[in-house]
Amino acid sequence: MRAIVHSTTRAAWGVCVLTLAIVLPALAQAQPADDAHPVTALTINSSGALLVLQDSDLFTIAGGTSTKIALPATDQGAQPTSLARGADGSVYLAGPGLGVWRYDSASESWQSLSDTLPNLGVTAMAAHATQPETLYAYLGTDGMFRSRDGGAEWVKVDSGPQEPVQAFLHSDMPGSMESGWLFAGTTRGVSRSMDCFCFWGDAGDLRGTVSAIGYDPAAPENVYAVIEGQLHHSADGGETWTSLKTPQSVTALAFSPSQGLLVGTANGNLLARGAADEWTPVHE
Amino acid sequence: MGTCLPVAPLTSGRLSMNKWIYSLVLLAAPVFAGASGGPGSADSTPTGVSQGRQIYEQYCAACHGWQGEGAANWKKPDEKGEMPPPPHDETGHTWRHSDAMLFKMIAEGWRYPFNKSDRLTMPAFEEQMTVQEIQSVIDYLKTLWTEEQRDYQKTESQ
Repeated sequence: MRAIVHSTTRAAWGVCVLTLAIVLPALAQAQPADDAHPVTALTINSSGALLVLQDSDLFTIAGGTSTKIALPATDQGAQPTSLARGADGSVYLAGPGLGVWRYDSASESWQSLSDTLPNLGVTAMAAHATQPETLYAYLGTDGMFRSRDGGAEWVKVDSGPQEPVQAFLHSDMPGSMESGWLFAGTTRGVSRSMDCFCFWGDAGDLRGTVSAIGYDPAAPENVYAVIEGQLHHSADGGETWTSLKTPQSVTALAFSPSQGLLVGTANGNLLARGAADEWTPVHE
Repeated sequence: MGTCLPVAPLTSGRLSMNKWIYSLVLLAAPVFAGASGGPGSADSTPTGVSQGRQIYEQYCAACHGWQGEGAANWKKPDEKGEMPPPPHDETGHTWRHSDAMLFKMIAEGWRYPFNKSDRLTMPAFEEQMTVQEIQSVIDYLKTLWTEEQRDYQKTESQ
């Protein structure tokens, strides 16, 4: 009997050690930068790698390793706050004092797309879900701008929702009179318009300041929004919302073709949502 | 968008001062159009605009208004979750759509995706109108917009 207990204890210790050996590296990989800083924004590049904006630093995470990408040289006071993925996989960066930039992965350099914007006060940007050359930028003082030529020429198309826009998204959800829908996270909640900018209306009755917004490209009716760290989900294009439990306060989100919904947290962690709604550290 | 109901009789109550002023503008439009590139002049003929107005009044005005003013509270879904018919004048968003998209919506209709039913919000008129008649309605709608809106819509149509 004593021999059986001893073997069982040894086996249990073995399992524990093995588990730690597997989990610890994964946890380490899930934190590409100083974990004291919240994740500001997330997106996925054309290779499927995760890009993480955190405390004015940008990282790409692929193959279990994190690589820093130098941000464009800008004036002091510029705040990188938005990442977007174009329909062709191009990565865009924007923010107040920064304007809009596109990353060229071949030359590992940034190209400014702000020449025809009235100023650099871009508080949110979005890329069209299916048209690679169509981009959207929201300027806090000037409203909504659209470019249909990859950022060479910006044209003001609308004033935007009544409340200032904090997060911005283009979706190819069906049912639009034009080519898709725009979701704007404002200080009131989520506002929605067809991409003709026909008019902005409340997307459901979710209320509060939206800090991040995203959708599932494989099932576009599924929209996600973050209000004060709480993640919310709509399965009907923004008509109704439910809260999702997360282990930490959420600050950013993105959809990965391979891992589904990913979130960045206030603690600087990256988590992926599993099939059973569990959250696990990201380790691509 | 809203369902276009059978044509309501044109009552004297509907014949507001604006209506008369607008009628005068329509009558004068061909003259100005020929002279200085007036409303709809680039893409339409005076006959097209006049015909478009007649067809608009026959099929569209009952829902979208005799002056294209649309329904009240058109930006909010009604109790059935349906979007009321929007204005076609300068206060609406018709001018934001290309000619091709406007043609498609008139011909095939359009369903507001959140209307909680399968019915079309804007009915299809391809059985009632010819291609040329639909085009003339679009030409007429352009006379309800500002110059700036016509320029925007022209760019959208390119």
